[in-house]
Amino acid sequence: MRGLVIAAILLAAAPLGLPPFATTLLTEALILGLLAMSLDLMVGYTRLISFGHAAAYGLGAYACGDLLIHTRLPLPFAIFLSASITGIVGIGVAWVCTLAKGVSFSMLTLAFAQLLYAIAFKWTAVTGASDGLAGIPRRVGPFGLTQFQTRNGYYYLVLGCLLGAYAFCRVLVRSPFGAVLRGIRENEPKTISLGYNTRLCKIAIVAISFMLGGLSGALYAPFAGFANTDLLFWLFSGQVLIMVIVGGQGTLLGPIVGAAFFMLLEHVLSQYTDSWALFFGLIFIGFITFAPDGIWGLFRRRVRI
Amino acid sequence: MALLELDGLTKRYGGLTAVNGVAMRVEAGEVRAVIGPNGAGKTSLFHLITGVVPATSGDVRFDGNSLNRMSSYRRCQTGLSRTFQLTSLFSEMTARENCRVAAQARLRGRWQPWGGTQIFREAAARGDEALERLGLTAIAGRSAGLLSHGDQRLLEVAMALSQRPRVLLLDEPTQGLSVEETITAVETLAGLLVDGKLTVLLVEHDMEVVFRLAQKITVMHRGSVIADDVPSVVRRDPAVQAAYLGGYA
Repeated sequence: MRGLVIAAILLAAAPLGLPPFATTLLTEALILGLLAMSLDLMVGYTRLISFGHAAAYGLGAYACGDLLIHTRLPLPFAIFLSASITGIVGIGVAWVCTLAKGVSFSMLTLAFAQLLYAIAFKWTAVTGASDGLAGIPRRVGPFGLTQFQTRNGYYYLVLGCLLGAYAFCRVLVRSPFGAVLRGIRENEPKTISLGYNTRLCKIAIVAISFMLGGLSGALYAPFAGFANTDLLFWLFSGQVLIMVIVGGQGTLLGPIVGAAFFMLLEHVLSQYTDSWALFFGLIFIGFITFAPDGIWGLFRRRVRI
Repeated sequence: MALLELDGLTKRYGGLTAVNGVAMRVEAGEVRAVIGPNGAGKTSLFHLITGVVPATSGDVRFDGNSLNRMSSYRRCQTGLSRTFQLTSLFSEMTARENCRVAAQARLRGRWQPWGGTQIFREAAARGDEALERLGLTAIAGRSAGLLSHGDQRLLEVAMALSQRPRVLLLDEPTQGLSVEETITAVETLAGLLVDGKLTVLLVEHDMEVVFRLAQKITVMHRGSVIADDVPSVVRRDPAVQAAYLGGYA
């Protein structure tokens, strides 16, 4: 807990000591961290392997982009509304995907993400098709607040969302509901035989995961100023899954670290070579083979928190 | 009125009739064993009662209410707790946590997505009580996956017991145990049943175990019931001897 407070303070102080481009990079890392953490609820805590989490991200980003372009909603409201919309769509996605188990579940999540990808390509009026949505504004408000329009102000908005989401997830996974999730992860038939409606439980966690994934997408759209179909692409879903596994699944904090690690490595490696993904792939294989607990697991072994 | 009633319960898989028109009445407080050779349909019968597989026809009534249209998890909530023929545990949790999760399923607020100190405490108390009754208190803090096979079998019974079931369904509780482990397990189970408060339906094919524990025995053969009576009568039944007991009686 003390480590957590120190990390939060360091993150809060970061923009004051960092050059502007680093703050931008860190903002993006935190947004991706939120996305990876939301996926961890499914992958790490419930063993529901999703190959389509980009769907939540893209959905949140497009929803937020459209709300900011076409309505007069203040920025924070647009972001939270987009997250809610994504969560509601998540209920439907989850209802269908949880009809299947194991690999079939994963394939259905992938299918849904690809379906949204295809829709985004065709539905020009809403998504801008292959051009995407450009010029997404960081609208003023509420009450004429302009702070979120600045680089540092937006950073604090993202940080606040991440910390809030982390607190929410932490309470959730330690609750009685979280104990049922753990039961499903370890032995679903047994969990059913104890009298738990595991399907309902899985639908709930997928919807929550979508909502938080949508929140991160909604934060991304006004941060980058655009939203395009890349955000929904299956390759991105795979990358988020890699962030979770490299960071340390089932730990909430690990995936955030994993996302930052992924971004940092991409940033550094791509300065030297175009085939940075090749090296990242090797690192990924290394983690799977030698450190399945991920970065967070390695860290925990040395430092007791 | 019987607590658990089966009526014409039938399960067909294509041309194979696994369970064929089984009728049975289990009174409250009774310990009933279902025996029969391999493939007689004993475990299938358990699956039908707990709703793991749907019945082709027939009726399962519990406390006067039909369970036919209830899904598996709902049947458990009415008070049926079962163990599995192949041990089924949460192997990465400790024995105590296994029982806690089991007990939690019967508490209000089992879904509560926040806090839960009170719920966990109540569930843990019920779980610890069950562990103690099965003599597992000493290993409560150990990871379930690392326990001996005998302790794992008993832990599964403890999990069922911590749900405070109205009917306890045990599927071959001594399956795969060594001779010594079987003796320990049977004595432990006999100790549980001695006060006559539990209603138990037990599938078993170890005769010693059945005659030690059961007050009534239902014998199944090729999906059908061929005898249903107290142990002394079942032991002498010529059809049972031909089908199953061999030289035992």
